[in-house]
Amino acid sequence: MTFLKILWDNLRKGPSTEAFPFGEATTPAGYRGKVTFDAATCVGCNMCEHVCAAGAIRFAEADDGLHFVIWHNTCVSCGLCAYYCPTKAIKLSNDWHLSHLQQDKYTQLDHGVVAYKRCTSCGDKLLPTGSVLTQLAYKGPNPRAERLMDLCPECRRKASTRGEAI
Amino acid sequence: MIKDTLWTLLAVVVFPGGLFAMALGLALKGVERRAIARLQRRVGPPLVQPFYDLVKLMRKRTLIPDTANRFVFLTVPLIGLAAMGVAAAMIPIPGFYQPSPLLGDLIVLFYLVSVPAVALMLAGSASGSPYGAIGFSREMAIVLAYEGPILLSLVAVALHAGAAMGQPIALNLSDIVNYQQQHGAFLFDPWLLPAFLTYLSFIPANLGIAPFDIPEAEAEVLEGPLVEYSGPPLGLLKLTSAIKSVVVIGLGVALFFPNGPDGIAGLVVFALKCVVMVLAGALLKAAVGRMRIDQAVLFYLKWPELLGVAGLVLVAARL
Amino acid sequence: MNFFSTAAKKSPWLYRINAGSCNGCDVELATTACIPRYDVERLGCQYCGSPKHADIVLITGPLTARVKDRVLRVFDEIPDPKVTVAVGICPISGGVFRESYAIEGPIDRYLPVDVNVPGCPPRPQAIIEGIAMAIEIWAKRT
Repeated sequence: MTFLKILWDNLRKGPSTEAFPFGEATTPAGYRGKVTFDAATCVGCNMCEHVCAAGAIRFAEADDGLHFVIWHNTCVSCGLCAYYCPTKAIKLSNDWHLSHLQQDKYTQLDHGVVAYKRCTSCGDKLLPTGSVLTQLAYKGPNPRAERLMDLCPECRRKASTRGEAI
Repeated sequence: MIKDTLWTLLAVVVFPGGLFAMALGLALKGVERRAIARLQRRVGPPLVQPFYDLVKLMRKRTLIPDTANRFVFLTVPLIGLAAMGVAAAMIPIPGFYQPSPLLGDLIVLFYLVSVPAVALMLAGSASGSPYGAIGFSREMAIVLAYEGPILLSLVAVALHAGAAMGQPIALNLSDIVNYQQQHGAFLFDPWLLPAFLTYLSFIPANLGIAPFDIPEAEAEVLEGPLVEYSGPPLGLLKLTSAIKSVVVIGLGVALFFPNGPDGIAGLVVFALKCVVMVLAGALLKAAVGRMRIDQAVLFYLKWPELLGVAGLVLVAARL
Repeated sequence: MNFFSTAAKKSPWLYRINAGSCNGCDVELATTACIPRYDVERLGCQYCGSPKHADIVLITGPLTARVKDRVLRVFDEIPDPKVTVAVGICPISGGVFRESYAIEGPIDRYLPVDVNVPGCPPRPQAIIEGIAMAIEIWAKRT
């Protein structure tokens, strides 16, 4: 007769249904939802594209910078990109409001441009190296490396050879 | 004579058959769905949900399978609905409505109550689908199992009421109701307790309430006989089952507990009795799973049959 | 909006088609009906067993080559008007199976999809959100 007690308890406690879609739904803070990308901290290592299980992430080079594109309609929210991103430029937010009409299917994109910097010496373009990466590499501020950061690889090599960076 | 016929026709089409029974039956379905949802800690659909469903089905396209017998496929829902309209008009609403004797007696009613089951069987076999065929065979098995006990129960009540009124057997439902209103309900008569229990056990099988909703099991045989139906015919079949719940519960009320006030209050009390029965059915539906067809048939052939025979013997012994 | 579409909006019956899904999305679909927390029935929805009773069809899976013909056949058996919802990333884009020789998807190459619910699998609330979108379309079609 325990089932009668369970049913009675169910009646007594009332519905446990969430208000959604008429109200707000609860979302755990750690829920793996929509991928967010921060172009300012990305260093263009392409690791996320390499590890992406579903091929949702693409990088493309253009004149103005490195273009990052993610198509949410093929992302499996596995979190590998966020795990392998050295500077944590990719994160998984807990936003799950991804349902959309068919005509919006191919606009479910997030697009970011990692803009090229100009080499202060020769004017050639180079990918910016954020302070997050130097922090990771040198465990603290490093004046020597920071002097080389605004140079293109070629000029950096020359500068190093001339001993300017020492 | 013509006036009588017109009144009878009105009873079949508008009140208490036809429109009224449809409205009450659909409302009862809504109450049932809501009650089950509450028992499972859900909010559940609104009470008028079955009306919405019906209106929607009336607008959907009707698909007829190539393998189906077109004529039988389309007429069977109408047969079930017509039988139930007439049957609903034969159920007295104590203190409010007395069926015209033109419509027939308890025996006719007994046969009319089994017509929807036959219609469902025909629907299943006419649809030409293997699921429909399985639903057909299951419906057939369970009908054979529960028709015996229900007949025994009806005969016991009719004999008892007849003996009390000085007739060999009372086959007029109005007489049975009137007798109970004067001398107390049969529900509280210990001699008729087995007959009452038999009737009670017949309700879930006839109305497709778990654990006996085997012919229309949506999880195993995709709602069995209804599998190929769509649009208005499906709506009619759902409507038939809604009216059937009014008829079967109303017959139980008339046979065992028709006592209540006169006038409109009588109608309200009748509806309340129906709601109480439906709530009990919802409790059963929410609490138990589904039996296998062989278990259900064995169950009906054992216990309700035994109870029915016991009830009949008890009543016959006092004659 | 007339009387019929008002009623129809409150009574969309759901039907699931598994087009070669891994069952993840199907489990999430089942939770929307079976777990009291999500309770899709309060929108008037009801999962039905037969395609002929359906109004909103929820398709999961990347449409594998073996299942393609069956899916198209079952889809044709759903009476009009109907609304199609692609649940999970597999029917939408192919997901991790995209460009595999074993799949024929994405599903909108063969079927008219109306609403997409991405996720692998989408959480039940996301499915309910998609169903709510589909109901809006469904009310316009009846």
